[in-house]
Amino acid sequence: MEEENNILRETVAEFCEKNLDEKKIETEGITEKLTELIASQGFLGSAVPDKYSGSGLDETSYEIILEEIAKYSPSVAMKIFILNSMYYPAVKGTSAEDTLNDASTGKISVAVDFINKAGSIESESGKAKGTLKNILGTDADKLVVFGDSTSIVSGPFKSDSRDFMGFRGLKFGDLHLDNSVQVLDKHSRMAEIMENSYGPASAIGLGMISGALQKAIDYTNVRKAFGNKLRDFEPVSFRLARFRAMESILRNSLYSRIDPYYTFNFAMEHLVEIARYSVNTHGGYGYFKDFGVEKFYRDAIVMKSIFYGTDELRKLTEHVYSEKINFV
Amino acid sequence: MFEELEDYRQKIREFALKEFTEDVAAEYDRKESYPDDLRRKSLSLGIVDMQNPAKVLIAIEELCRVDAGLGIALTTPYFGSEVIMLFGNDRQKEILNDVYSGKYILGLGVTEPSGGSDVAALKTTAKKQGNKYILNGSKMFITNGAIADYLVILARTSEDSNPHHGLSTFLLNTKSKGFSATKLEDKLGVRATNTAELQFNNIELSEDDLIGEEGKGFYYIMMFFNISRIYVAAQSIGIARGAFDKIKSYIKENNVKDEDSMFRLSDVGTRIEASRQMTYNAASYLFEFKPKPELTSMAKAYSSETAVYAAEEAMEILGDESLYESVQRIFRNAKIMEIWEGTSEIEKLVIARYILKGE
Repeated sequence: MEEENNILRETVAEFCEKNLDEKKIETEGITEKLTELIASQGFLGSAVPDKYSGSGLDETSYEIILEEIAKYSPSVAMKIFILNSMYYPAVKGTSAEDTLNDASTGKISVAVDFINKAGSIESESGKAKGTLKNILGTDADKLVVFGDSTSIVSGPFKSDSRDFMGFRGLKFGDLHLDNSVQVLDKHSRMAEIMENSYGPASAIGLGMISGALQKAIDYTNVRKAFGNKLRDFEPVSFRLARFRAMESILRNSLYSRIDPYYTFNFAMEHLVEIARYSVNTHGGYGYFKDFGVEKFYRDAIVMKSIFYGTDELRKLTEHVYSEKINFV
Repeated sequence: MFEELEDYRQKIREFALKEFTEDVAAEYDRKESYPDDLRRKSLSLGIVDMQNPAKVLIAIEELCRVDAGLGIALTTPYFGSEVIMLFGNDRQKEILNDVYSGKYILGLGVTEPSGGSDVAALKTTAKKQGNKYILNGSKMFITNGAIADYLVILARTSEDSNPHHGLSTFLLNTKSKGFSATKLEDKLGVRATNTAELQFNNIELSEDDLIGEEGKGFYYIMMFFNISRIYVAAQSIGIARGAFDKIKSYIKENNVKDEDSMFRLSDVGTRIEASRQMTYNAASYLFEFKPKPELTSMAKAYSSETAVYAAEEAMEILGDESLYESVQRIFRNAKIMEIWEGTSEIEKLVIARYILKGE
């Protein structure tokens, strides 16, 4: 099993090295051609069952794919995550599950309103009206919206896309809806879906930590100051060494499935810290896009801001105390 | 001293709120272009008073509080002027007057592609030939590099076993033959400021272009860092306060009452207050021409880390709301504070050295 996982890891890494030009992705977005390529490798619908044209991979294989891709392009990893960990569980078993075939093969793109968690749209006579702010993937063909219920809205969408700080490969902006809507479930599946996504979200966090840290280690291995390599300065290399140890602990925790709450908390708590320090080690160069390290810092804070707030800390705390707590 | 300038602080605050609207700040950030129209307007209103250092700090802080990209762009056309003010000759001081009046934009070139922190290791040379110096080399990450009329340049004029010796400062006219500047793009933040890579190809400098004494350049620049690091501390406090403003508004508007948010708000506020006290304390020694480098470095390191801390806290506390442009721009602007004018690591080395020296 371990050998299979290693082969998968190497295969994904090789694919990324060859095909994921992160600077291009950040500038031009994830193109249809790239989406098709990712789909053709079976990465796009990795955790979607094969009956929906997905790869039907187990949790570990899916998370390895997310981790390896996030080392190169957090945007691409997020696109895969949205389909497999958000869209698929929202539509499975509903009248919209047939859309998974086209989504897994890259024929259509999907988005999920997991940033707003608003569901503030009005729906009447089969039409969704209103504006949804801050959608990752404004070029989607299908959008899942959570409110009191779980609904799916069909594109194309009228959008105000704008530059976004994080996950720049995905188009970001507001959607102005006047589109057909279909209620999939009278209950919102949001909370359950978010909680079940801790493992995959941690895998993206781990990949970003790993990608940012490797940049810092590589740079400090060659960059000199005061006649010595940066790695020769204890405050720099001690810190990077500690981060690598933390990365390893996170990876072990994720794949040994000790406790998804703890793993997710650990990933989110350290993601920004490590990405920030990786920028630091590059000095002025770290502040520029060309060196490919500042994107990890941007993506890290967006990831943490979206996925890790008071709700998640309360869930963690109740998990520790094993009961519901009446917070003051 | 600072308490007496509350009216001035209010004037700057009003200017920044009026001119640095969200649309304006977002546009300059997006286009990554220098706001020369705003610079001219700020000059006409006397927003930056280089004759009064306390006012300079207040202006930097209040402008950066609203938008650091624009705030820094408006307060750096004078960057490096202190080197001329302290060590320059009469002709150079005449040029400086034109910088203060807004006719010229100034910049300072120390950092090179091969290194920023290790100033003494610079490779740019100014070799004496007769009564001229021939400047060759390059500089990196130079603020105002592609828009400056004049640049204060640090270059090696002679080899010495002590690398701190043999460095000299020059005032370079950017119209000089052999000078070229390439604007550097795709910065994470402070995108309204101009940043460039400079190339010097056999530029002829006269003896009159030498600032102060030959061979004293390293010490002049270290003296300048005692000033510019205070400026960065003020920029950082401004950024931290801008983030703090966002956190306070969010908490009030959304009636947030959970204790975790209260504690975080409290920590940001405490760090800002500490940064301000440290910065004003370090500045008070500087204003009496008795700078204490350890206090300056403490203020710079702590304030810049506070700016980053406050910006990250704003992103996290506001959560989904933080994805709007103004908050994420604060976050992107903050990071450079820990890098320019000496990284936090360099500041800590300075602090440790002076602490031990004091014993």
